Amino acid sequence: MTTHNLLFVLAAVFALWAVMAKKLLTSAIMLALVSVAVSLIFFDFSAPWAGVFELSVCAGLITVLFIGAVSLIRADEDKRPENRAFAYALPLAAAVFAIAAWFYLPPFFEELAAGRQMAAGGGTIGTALWGLRRPDLLGQVLMLAAGVFVIKSVFPRRTENK
Amino acid sequence: MDKGLLAYLLIPLLSAVIIPFAARNRPKLADILANVTLLAGLANLAWLALRPSIIRGEFADIPGDGFSLLLVAAVYLVALCVTFFSAWFIEEGLPNRSAYYSLILVSVSAMCGVVTTTDFFTLYVFIEVLAVTSFALITTDESGAGLEGALKYFFLTFPASALIIIGIAVMLMSLGSLSFESLRFFMASDLPAGPVTFGAALMLLGFIIKAGVVPFHTWAPDAYQGAYAPVSAHLAGIVTKVSGVYAIIKMATLLRFFDGRAQALSEMLMFLGLLSIAVGALAALKQTNLKRMLAFSSISQVGYIVLAAGLGTPLAIMGAIFHLINHATFKTVLFLNSASVEKSAGTTDMDKLGGLEHTMPWTSWTSIVALLSTAGVPPLSGFWSKLIIILALWEAGLKGYAVLALLFSIVTLAYFMMMQKKVFFGKKTPAAESSPEVCAPLLAPVVLMSGLIVALGLLFPYFYVYVKMVAERILL
Repeated sequence: MTTHNLLFVLAAVFALWAVMAKKLLTSAIMLALVSVAVSLIFFDFSAPWAGVFELSVCAGLITVLFIGAVSLIRADEDKRPENRAFAYALPLAAAVFAIAAWFYLPPFFEELAAGRQMAAGGGTIGTALWGLRRPDLLGQVLMLAAGVFVIKSVFPRRTENK
Repeated sequence: MDKGLLAYLLIPLLSAVIIPFAARNRPKLADILANVTLLAGLANLAWLALRPSIIRGEFADIPGDGFSLLLVAAVYLVALCVTFFSAWFIEEGLPNRSAYYSLILVSVSAMCGVVTTTDFFTLYVFIEVLAVTSFALITTDESGAGLEGALKYFFLTFPASALIIIGIAVMLMSLGSLSFESLRFFMASDLPAGPVTFGAALMLLGFIIKAGVVPFHTWAPDAYQGAYAPVSAHLAGIVTKVSGVYAIIKMATLLRFFDGRAQALSEMLMFLGLLSIAVGALAALKQTNLKRMLAFSSISQVGYIVLAAGLGTPLAIMGAIFHLINHATFKTVLFLNSASVEKSAGTTDMDKLGGLEHTMPWTSWTSIVALLSTAGVPPLSGFWSKLIIILALWEAGLKGYAVLALLFSIVTLAYFMMMQKKVFFGKKTPAAESSPEVCAPLLAPVVLMSGLIVALGLLFPYFYVYVKMVAERILL
């Protein structure tokens, strides 16, 4: 129970960071971390397939797409001044949500834990990643490499344009 | 996943990672590493394909269904032509030289992943890697056109990805598995096929968009025209063929498991194939830009493959596979030649070009070989694949489709003759006066590919036996 409480808090922190970040690139990376935390929660609740797909599609592909899109925006446009009043209200909203979560989330997690017992036998993280979906891991490595080369290819020109 | 072909995926990936480090201080090393990697892969494939047993027509040593091996060879061949051409085409000061080669090698790995996988979700992951690398490669051209092409590619092909993933989800819910084989087992049972057919339809729609089939073709001319010149050859020659057209053929062969219960899908594929042939050919007639005309021609030729895939008979699948390979050869030649013309004359506007055969004879002659093959003139390779497709349509009783496919083949010849007349024949224009033939290394890939077009045509009986074996393994 402690693990997924921690993961839930981490996911919330990363999500908040994604919304409040001034740089688009930081937002994209934080969103990827949200997906990683969520996929770990899936694994923790004995839903390895959902975890693997969350990791593949959201943490891998979507992040690379965001980074690709960000790379097309000129560096100076990235830092355009904006009204950030909403960003200061967010921590307050998060605090209110945290207090509500303190009361309502534990029973919700209890319910999910019952679901975990029902799903037990669906496979562990290791079975799902290395046994059932090994070729996807190769695809993920390729996606990661593609993301790095997109940054190396497009970002130098983005800085030059500035 | 076909483990026998895994090395063809892993080695380019390894090279792609090494290149940025190795070529940090010596940019030319990136050219060498990329070319050596692809040449080594191709030499290995040649060693595999030219074994005495295989020459005798015994294909027991060929891994998987043989289709994967054929496509891996096509991927390596086109990529080698593109990287070899790029080594002499890219300006010295290009800041992202090593990233360019790394992206091409990652796309080669992804294409090998696409053609060797036997699982829907893994297919999706590799196709997305291919989409990301293609998007970055299109933007190698720093002009506005390159960016516009990349954005159109981005906005039109990523909704296709959404359709594919929804289709996969529906499949998973119905089949309980994501492997291609599970479809076979599912259809053997008496369970209702409705949801699976729906999932297959969504996936097919996604692949149709990615292949640039009419009416979802609008991204293709802009992307091909706006992309960096050698990248156009890479995209049109092999990338869109693997990410879209190969997947359509694969789905079409899988639809045969439905035993007539997905007849509407097959008919839709055939109709869209014919529509692509017609719209692509008629639009190509009106173009004044060489690269844009080639893009529409590509849309038209993809139509032949989709039409044959939709028909789905063993003969039609054979024609589709052979035309896919042929398309990779002749479109690579034509796009690389357009890059040579652009480099030499400084434009691809056909109204400003003319009489280039006097100054660029090698480019002109290789273009003639490729265009005649595209139009289906005997004895070149394109003739045989089109003949098989038209015969398959006739044999299936679809005489109207067969006649129209034949008629538009004549239109193909017409627009290519107009292109040849405008660009290479006639009097020299001012642009042609100062356009010398490109250097020998830039000609080498197109001469090699032109030789292959002639060889595939003349050695057709040998190649026919291999393609027949592939079609039989896929369908049985």
